[in-house]
Amino acid sequence: MSLLSPLSLAWLGLLVPLIGLYILRRRREARVVGSTLLWDRAVRDMRAERPWQRLIPYLSLILQALAILLAAFALARPSGIGEVPSGARVVVVVDASASMATRMPGGDTRMDAARGVVIGLADALPAGGTLTLIEAASEPAVLLAPTSDVAEIRHAISQLRVRGAESSLERAVAVGAERVRDAPPGSRIVVITDAASDGEQALAATVPVEVQRVGMDAVNDAIVAVDVRARPSDESPDRAEIFVRVVRHASSPASRWVTASIEGRGVVASRRVELVPNEPESVLMLADLPPDADGRAALVRIELAGDDPAEGQVAAASEDALSLDDLVVAPSPGARRLPVFLVGDAPASVRRVLLADRDVELFQTTLASLAERAASPDRTDLDGVFVYAGETPPSAPQGDSIALAPDGDTLFGVALGAAAENPRIVSWEEDDPRLRFVSFAAVHVASMRPIAGAQARTLVQTDHGALVSSLAHPGGEATLIGFDPDRSDLPDQPGFVILFRNVLERARQRRAEGGIRADRIGEPLRVPAPDGVTVEVRCPDGSTARGLSRGGVAIVDVPALPGVFEANVGRQRLFALRSLLSPSESDPSPRARFVTRAGGTEVEVQEASSPREAWAWLAGLLLVVLVLEATWATRKGAT
Amino acid sequence: MSSLLDPAFLRRLGRLRLAVRRRFAGSSAGGRRSTRRGSSAEFAEHRPYYAGDDVRRIDWNAYARLEELVLRLFVAEEDLSLYLLIDRSASLGIGTPPKIELAKQVAAALGYVGLSGSERVSVHPFGDALDAPMAPTRGSKRIGALLRYLDAIEPRGDTDLANTVERFLARSPRPGLVAVISDFFDPGGFQRPLDRLLAQKFEPVLFQVLDREELDPTPGTDVELVDSETGQKVDVSLDARAIAAYRARLFAFFAELESYAKKRGLFYGRVDAEHALDDVVVGYLRQGAR
Repeated sequence: MSLLSPLSLAWLGLLVPLIGLYILRRRREARVVGSTLLWDRAVRDMRAERPWQRLIPYLSLILQALAILLAAFALARPSGIGEVPSGARVVVVVDASASMATRMPGGDTRMDAARGVVIGLADALPAGGTLTLIEAASEPAVLLAPTSDVAEIRHAISQLRVRGAESSLERAVAVGAERVRDAPPGSRIVVITDAASDGEQALAATVPVEVQRVGMDAVNDAIVAVDVRARPSDESPDRAEIFVRVVRHASSPASRWVTASIEGRGVVASRRVELVPNEPESVLMLADLPPDADGRAALVRIELAGDDPAEGQVAAASEDALSLDDLVVAPSPGARRLPVFLVGDAPASVRRVLLADRDVELFQTTLASLAERAASPDRTDLDGVFVYAGETPPSAPQGDSIALAPDGDTLFGVALGAAAENPRIVSWEEDDPRLRFVSFAAVHVASMRPIAGAQARTLVQTDHGALVSSLAHPGGEATLIGFDPDRSDLPDQPGFVILFRNVLERARQRRAEGGIRADRIGEPLRVPAPDGVTVEVRCPDGSTARGLSRGGVAIVDVPALPGVFEANVGRQRLFALRSLLSPSESDPSPRARFVTRAGGTEVEVQEASSPREAWAWLAGLLLVVLVLEATWATRKGAT
Repeated sequence: MSSLLDPAFLRRLGRLRLAVRRRFAGSSAGGRRSTRRGSSAEFAEHRPYYAGDDVRRIDWNAYARLEELVLRLFVAEEDLSLYLLIDRSASLGIGTPPKIELAKQVAAALGYVGLSGSERVSVHPFGDALDAPMAPTRGSKRIGALLRYLDAIEPRGDTDLANTVERFLARSPRPGLVAVISDFFDPGGFQRPLDRLLAQKFEPVLFQVLDREELDPTPGTDVELVDSETGQKVDVSLDARAIAAYRARLFAFFAELESYAKKRGLFYGRVDAEHALDDVVVGYLRQGAR
């Protein structure tokens, strides 16, 4: 227990003379009377008439006074988390990594406990003291500038969340150290963490750094890796392999179930796995994962369960303290059918390539009909790849598209140069996924329109300018081809087919991921959207997160949950998958070592506690005792 | 003669007799109307004649009018039992002179009048229990024995009137007049024991003896009052306010005693600095003379 102002306890010395006044009796002349019966009643009458009465050294009175003292002492919460001299600054760094979501025996998470510790620190702030709150996620975030406003502090504490990624306590402490530069004596940095990270962390600062640990060792079974790959067979073209790696962080082995399911179809595969502590165990399951009626890839939910799954229901292992890594959502590779809309009179070679892909569903349309559809009030966005031949709209459509054989001055608004005959290809971007395994070394083009717009990135360069370019936009990307393939020898080469396959495969992948890049749990969603648009994201737990689009992307901070996040951008729905923690975060055991600096002395890790709560209960108990005592003393018939 | 009775007081008592409001059946012939029928000259009532009755008592005049044989009955005259319950608890030892002296004087005066009137008189000193009594006696020649007995009483112990009355009744005394002489400062109260006496056909008369200091305490500083019987201590500042509060309680107590006696037709007299013993006793006895 520590006291904010231990010298103030000297005031308790006043109790000695105070109690002495109660105990010591004045010498009185004794006078024998026949009976004190009436005198006793008269004295009571006098007491009853007065609004106050003489202090009499009843034992109960002294006990009551002591009880009040104790209660006041308790309510003052003298055992704050740490003593803060007057005017000192406290910077609190809270670990927001995924392991802080680990549940403790009482049901609270480590983050809940951390919040309690911060509240204790805030309540222990003396006059003039300030508190700064920094959330240490992958990037440190200052949630609260230095303040002593309790309301602000509590609001900031409520903003603390588990972010998912590994935390960088070192950087967070560095940020905190900046905040307490030239701070008065007694200032310090308090790091609240579960220390569930590997290796050594150097907490360098010019002020003392305290590390308070929340949470003890815990059991966690975690899915640390998943891969779903197509393995078409004669039996089923949609056959897929589901590879899962599971690790048990515990001291004893256990048996668990790994279950794969698809929404609407229930469990499609299940395996029982015997887990040995701290030894990764791999599971391989086969399942048919056909796309849905819209040709979309099925989403596979892979769950780690403690009991035998029945009827598609799974129950988490009761001892599993961290649930974030018990569920993984992955796209299935089975969504091969891709709608392709041919707009205009497509070159025969292009039409031939597309028709040759059995996973392509080809639609012929025109710019006019697309414009008419766009004007319809109840339109829905077409989901597929658009291939424009000749004329193009002023801007690229949502999703992926190809524009070729231009006959206007622009392609999706990108300026075109003057026609050039027999350009010589000088270079191409071999690293671009669309040009993978594609060679333009022996390609001859009869004529071209160089792509001059600076907003497009050149993929194939000729001596007359860009022959093939890429135009990225918030909803996808467009591949701009500045020549008519039929007027070149490219269709005669294998690279032509591969080029289109690469573009289509890239579109498939984007569709399978839902339009937003899949990432780890807790990573913010980067939703492509026009500037100024507020993107609303529905999270797996039913909550909603919002973000304003700037620069073509809305970055939406979402809770650290595994599952499918649905983003609505206007009339377009995009999906994002968040799964898996880093293997380090799945291990909830405290093991990190903290040092003052690289090679410096080790920082002692204290067990964080909230004695404030216990004192509050004790104070409440004392008050109850006081009330009972007073009730007893003033009961009817009491003397 | 004992100092309990001075000659002047004796002369005042000479022509008086005990005042009794109800009739009691005596043990022998005396000068008081009894509840029984007897042979005095005072007609009491008629009753039907039954075989075996004394034919001399037949009222022939009534027979002539009513043609029924009826007997004339006359009031019997018997003696009265006077029980002197004198409080000898430690509180009676307080005062200047001690209250026990006043109590003895009251008892002596009543006993003198009773013996002079041929009543049966007995003395029962009490504290928290009943002492060995002076056996019932009658005749004026026993006055000396009575005074000697009273002289020997010393104050001691607590007061428990209820226990006293119960033990008194346990002696199965003949109903009569019970003079309770006490300060009545009994934590157990006086009503229940007196009610018990009334229920057993006794007639209590109440004499309360008080010291001047009890009636009007001398103002002073902070004192510790010690109860002479229980030893209980009460810290009090003897200022005017405290004395006023005490006197308010005291007079409320007087009023309570007086009201109790009045409601039951009992005599209540207080002997203190304001009420002289002679006047109180004579005042009571004069009720009997009327």
